Amino acid sequence: MERITLAHGDGGELAHQLIQQLFVAHFHHDAFVKFDAALLSIEKGKLAITTDSFVVKPLFFPGGNIGKLAVVGTVNDLAVSGAIPKAITCGFILEEGFPISDLKRIVQSMAEEAQKIGVAIVAGDTKVVERGAADGIYINTTGIGIVEEPLVPSFQEGDSVIISGSVGDHGITIFAARGELGLMTNLTSDCAALSPMISQATKASKQIRIMRDPTRGGLATALVEICEDFQLTIELSEDAIPIKREVEGACDLLGFDPLYLANEGKVIFIVAKEDEQKVLQAIRSREEGKEAAVIGTVRATEKGQLLLRTPLGTTRRLYRLTGLLLPRIC
Amino acid sequence: MAKAIKVTVRGRVQGVGFRPFVFQLAHRYRLAGTVQNNMDGVTIIAEGEEKQLQLFLHALIQEAPRLSRIDEWNVVAIPAQGWQQFSIIKSERKGTSSLVIPIDTAVCDDCLQEMNDPADFRYRYPFINCTQCGPRYTIIEQLPYDRPYTSMKTFPMCNRCQKEYENPLNRRHHAQPIACPTCGPSVMLIDRHGQTWKEEAIEKAQEFLMAGAIVAIKGLGGYHLACDATNETAVRQLRKRKQRPTRPLAIMAANLAVANQIGEINEKEAQLLTSPEAPIVIVKRKPFTLLAPSISPGLTTVGVMLPYTPLHHLLLDEQTLPLLVMTSANRSGMPILYEDAQAFSELNEIADYFLVHNRSIVHPLDDSVVQWQNGRLDFLRRARGFVPDPLFTTESVHALAALGGQQKNVFAFGRNQQLFLGPHIGDLQNIDVIHHFLREYEHLRTWLGIQPDAVAVDMHPNYETWNIVKEWDVSVIPVQHHHAHMVACMEDNGLKESCFGLILDGTGYGEDGNVWGFELLYGDASYYERLGHLLYTPLPGGEKCIKEPWRTAVGMLGYYFGEKGYEYALQRFPDKQYEIAILKNMIEKGINAPLAGTCGRLFDAVSAFLHVCLHPMYDGEAAIRLSEIIDEENVYEPYPFAIRENRLLEIDLADMWLAIIEDVSRNENPVQMAGRFHETVVAASVEMIRRAAKRHRSSERRIVLSGGSMHNRYVTKRLVEQLQAAAFTVYTHQKVPCSDGGLALGQLMIAAKRREREVCASEFQQK
Ligand SMILES: [Fe+3]
Ligand SMILES: [Mg+2]
Ligand SMILES: [Zn+2]
Ligand SMILES: [Zn+2]
Repeated sequence: MERITLAHGDGGELAHQLIQQLFVAHFHHDAFVKFDAALLSIEKGKLAITTDSFVVKPLFFPGGNIGKLAVVGTVNDLAVSGAIPKAITCGFILEEGFPISDLKRIVQSMAEEAQKIGVAIVAGDTKVVERGAADGIYINTTGIGIVEEPLVPSFQEGDSVIISGSVGDHGITIFAARGELGLMTNLTSDCAALSPMISQATKASKQIRIMRDPTRGGLATALVEICEDFQLTIELSEDAIPIKREVEGACDLLGFDPLYLANEGKVIFIVAKEDEQKVLQAIRSREEGKEAAVIGTVRATEKGQLLLRTPLGTTRRLYRLTGLLLPRIC
Repeated sequence: MAKAIKVTVRGRVQGVGFRPFVFQLAHRYRLAGTVQNNMDGVTIIAEGEEKQLQLFLHALIQEAPRLSRIDEWNVVAIPAQGWQQFSIIKSERKGTSSLVIPIDTAVCDDCLQEMNDPADFRYRYPFINCTQCGPRYTIIEQLPYDRPYTSMKTFPMCNRCQKEYENPLNRRHHAQPIACPTCGPSVMLIDRHGQTWKEEAIEKAQEFLMAGAIVAIKGLGGYHLACDATNETAVRQLRKRKQRPTRPLAIMAANLAVANQIGEINEKEAQLLTSPEAPIVIVKRKPFTLLAPSISPGLTTVGVMLPYTPLHHLLLDEQTLPLLVMTSANRSGMPILYEDAQAFSELNEIADYFLVHNRSIVHPLDDSVVQWQNGRLDFLRRARGFVPDPLFTTESVHALAALGGQQKNVFAFGRNQQLFLGPHIGDLQNIDVIHHFLREYEHLRTWLGIQPDAVAVDMHPNYETWNIVKEWDVSVIPVQHHHAHMVACMEDNGLKESCFGLILDGTGYGEDGNVWGFELLYGDASYYERLGHLLYTPLPGGEKCIKEPWRTAVGMLGYYFGEKGYEYALQRFPDKQYEIAILKNMIEKGINAPLAGTCGRLFDAVSAFLHVCLHPMYDGEAAIRLSEIIDEENVYEPYPFAIRENRLLEIDLADMWLAIIEDVSRNENPVQMAGRFHETVVAASVEMIRRAAKRHRSSERRIVLSGGSMHNRYVTKRLVEQLQAAAFTVYTHQKVPCSDGGLALGQLMIAAKRREREVCASEFQQK
């Protein structure tokens, strides 16, 4: 089996071959590689730029792999900011000995995903580190998009909170895929590009206040951040939050809270109450938004807290993920 | 030649008929002068013969009214001003704000007698009260305690009441909630459809209760849900509607004789039941009583109280309605309901009828719950009748606050040398409870007239108290949970110097980031050292372990016996094959399997392993049920155990588990196994303490016992016996709960020491 060697990263012949045969061949960015930097032209509007690094384990999981994740993750960050994704760059850190066939699969799915979304992969970089200095492969992507009509986060009491589908699928899928717990599920990651769904939604309503993709830290952490950033009180209704039964079962077993599990293909929309149904229909018209639901309401525009109304009728305040799961019961 | 003195009295001296009492004494000893309430307590100016003044002072202390409590008094000679008579003068709203806030008390015998006298104008009046009984704290809007500052302000007194109120020789002189059928509050019975009964409200309520209905009753500190406690169908209906499948329900018995029919009540327990504070008393339940079986399923005890408002007395009847379920009306985990509108909307699905009145409750207050344990009072919940009576300390605790724990939350304030524990707030997880906390905290703070300059908060980073204090501009003093328990017990007993502390508890955040709760400490309010604990075992699934105690058992068995341990677990929990395999991986990989050494979780694990309680439905059910099956009079043989002598002493229960596993395989009687387990906890603790004392630099032989598991009657009794036998002087709680309901007391004392040290340090730096 062909494997990555240190020479693949030294800028010499082997490196050249890797770039030409793998990256350029798949990403089709020959138009951009004549200079040390890619030159892009912008028509109008504002430039949006974001970056993210991907270190997922395992590299391949039901519903995706690290490459797909690296493209959709960055594209989604652009999309939820109201930008139309245009181009991304990618940096690879490879561990000496990494199978080239795996790299190929990863690169292929990056290219596929980029093409599907209509973004160009315009620049890249590869470094190889000694065996043991990294865990297989790390990918960094930076994305650029154009914002034509920026979102105006002017929240009002009564605004609706919508989630585009069930939460926690990615988190539990990854957990199960690691195989270390023996957790059996038929789940797949929700890993998907959100820009098509988002453009449907933004076409349907001009009153979308904000969008977020609840990745690391999950739905709860993403909403807590919105609440704090914009001084809102949002009340979620626990019953209304779509959670797959398998996710719920796994959470029950592991003692996890699905509201804190990562998602890679979900969007939170906060939208004016009157446009709630329009946006919901727009999202539901896409396959990845079939299970979209209204999950909460903006209760006040001055407090900065996220509340969860339980089926028992009690209300609990939610905080960001702490990473500390110690019982509080005495 | 007339002499004059000025007497200032502090303590529980307002709202308890103290001024009329002084007035009568002055008459008796032919003295002139004044008596006045002020922010400091009561001030008396008395002029007369020296001999008479002496007698007056003597009687003042000796004959004080039943509800009063004199904590401090001071006499100075002043120049005589020639008063002609003795009079009560108007309250003065100034002073250094050390007012006592009067407590709510059960209706007194004098009032009951009048209420039952057909010739009396308050015959069958459900709001009869006097200076010696009735509502206080629950109706006060502001201090000083005076009718215009209570929820009685909306009931102008009629002439008859007014006369009594003003007559210094009447037992209702200045009884702020004085009322009668003409001028006072009234009751009403309402059904779900809005039909109302006024005149015959109580008779109708009795009738419906006897027919099996559930009635929401507005009481002193909030709403209760009541049903006939002898009617199994009604009790089940209540449980179903309230979604409270197993939690024991409190009983109100028509009188002591009726209470005696259902419970083994000793003299002390009888005294508690009939005291002005009238708490719920947990007593041994008699077999074969009228009580419906589902009152306290799986338990051998029952919580009983006696009628404490006139309305209760009118409602219960030895012949026709001797026993009512009286459980506080609240949705699970929520504060007790006390506002009419909210009660109506929240109880609409639960209660068939509402027996209400139009005197508003300003401060909700739960019933206190106590048990008589080994010759002392053991508070499970310190609330009505005790809150907000202060405790007294010699430390400087002024302007300190302590926010208490996460569950069973109670906060505390220090003012001068008084310690005020707030009402039982509950589980801070719900936002409504947090609001309840903030409201009651702010009220008591305002009443006490203090602005805390430092606030003690439990170290657990996820306790809600951190989010509360984050919003305040105040310095925060973090306190370790079990240190607070220990110091609470020291303060409860007036101990100041360093001693040992054995804390058997549920879970608390330890300084090493693990879950503590079976701790041997040494120290005082200014510091502590940890000498020993129960070996840590994993809690797979974290907080899930509390609802599913079998997980804790899996964690312990896996920790002690590895592969073999999981097999034992599987034999005992055969329907959990898939789960146990995953839990094992979680434990091995350290995924959401925090390490814990706590007594509460140990009880859970054994309770689940013995199949005594696999699905606890309320806090502590697994542990409580395990302790209820054993014979408390017996002394069991301990199982084997080991103490590992590392830097800390560690209790290793591998041998006990092996013995239990073997007993289970031989189908040993669970009662026997549970009893032996109890004794193992005692024996291992005592052995750990003995060795620690031997290793320790001091020759201290005093030890305090605290933590929620000390409610366990067998464990505490045996610990006390065994430790005394090992020449220790043992101290247990008396005035505050050993559980988290008493935590704030310890937090406050620790904060006081820490503040003192910081002040010293900054003074030292300035020099
Ligand atoms: Fe505790
Ligand atoms: Mg991202
Ligand atoms: Zn009375
Ligand atoms: Zn009257």
